Amino acid sequence: MEERTAQLAESNQRLEMVNRELEAFSYSASHDLRAPLRSMEGFAQALLEDYGDRMEEKARDYLGRIINASRTMAELIDDLLSLSRVTRSEMRIEKTDLSAIAETILATHARTEPARAVEYVVEPGAVARCDPRLLRIALENLLDNAWKFTGKTPNARIEFRVVRENGVTMFCVQDNGAGFEMEYAGKLFAPFQRLHAAGDFPGTGIGLAIVQRIVHRHGGTVRAEGKPGGGATICFTL
Amino acid sequence: MENRIILLIEDNPDDAELILRAFKKHTIMNPVVLARDGGEALEYLIGPDAYDPSRIGFVLLDLKLPKVDGLEVLRRIRENEKTKFLPVVILTSSKEDRDLIEGYRLGTNSYVQKPIDFNQFSEAVRQVGLYWLIVNVPPPS
Repeated sequence: MEERTAQLAESNQRLEMVNRELEAFSYSASHDLRAPLRSMEGFAQALLEDYGDRMEEKARDYLGRIINASRTMAELIDDLLSLSRVTRSEMRIEKTDLSAIAETILATHARTEPARAVEYVVEPGAVARCDPRLLRIALENLLDNAWKFTGKTPNARIEFRVVRENGVTMFCVQDNGAGFEMEYAGKLFAPFQRLHAAGDFPGTGIGLAIVQRIVHRHGGTVRAEGKPGGGATICFTL
Repeated sequence: MENRIILLIEDNPDDAELILRAFKKHTIMNPVVLARDGGEALEYLIGPDAYDPSRIGFVLLDLKLPKVDGLEVLRRIRENEKTKFLPVVILTSSKEDRDLIEGYRLGTNSYVQKPIDFNQFSEAVRQVGLYWLIVNVPPPS
């Protein structure tokens, strides 16, 4: 018994140390990794502004590539930081109305992009004991994806449903958008894995990694189903 | 703008250059005094040869600085009778929660994250400059 307690104390200590290191790493990434990018982007931009008219087309094109790459890297850093923030933040568990959150997110999309005719259905009464702030982030990522990947689908449809299977409650976001090949379903949740060309659908590929972290922190599981051109369904438990 | 000084506390020479470029681009012609670390900043603010605080329009404060960090500089500005009302704008890379919370707790007037995109960066600097030099009414000296 005593030995077991000592072991637990030791692994706790190690865990705390890892957490502190992660915290320090993210803090320094947030401050130090962005600064050089600002120089690259800023001075490439300055060259274009001050000397662009004396440059050949090719030279301006190269500067444009430096600028784009710096911006992409900045996005990647911001995404990594959001991912680590989701892991580090303290959990506050309370009774949460997931339907209300989903409804708000979709209504905001509909309001900001009125040109998109998306039919969406939110099943009311999806209530769970969870961290409301983290679940909002998870649902935002899932519904943003559904919104994005139905961008080229006529009669786009997005659903948020509760599914009960063998006594387990699952929350599912379903769309009839671009979908994906089941072969790659496992890859979907790794950071920066994208299954579509950047030109077709923008994004860095961090969304589902964030969703998975949040679900795991609640002790739940998440899985994805889909087929190319036939939409995607992401279900999670808490 | 009455030519009040902008005190720029920034250790990164590239960022300092970009900030100066942004001021110039938007014809904000006020003299800029550059402090390259927290110690130098404190000399300008509360040392024996410090500037008269009423001559300083606002302070642009980076957080991660050599010697004395930005939050400590802010704390010293606020606890000093002469400088406690000085407008301070934190302009830094991070928007980590702990920097935001500490910055506001210590009484910053504003917190701006430096964007990577120079056009956005320059626009942020323009807005900050115009607001604190023209729109905002400073305390009586």
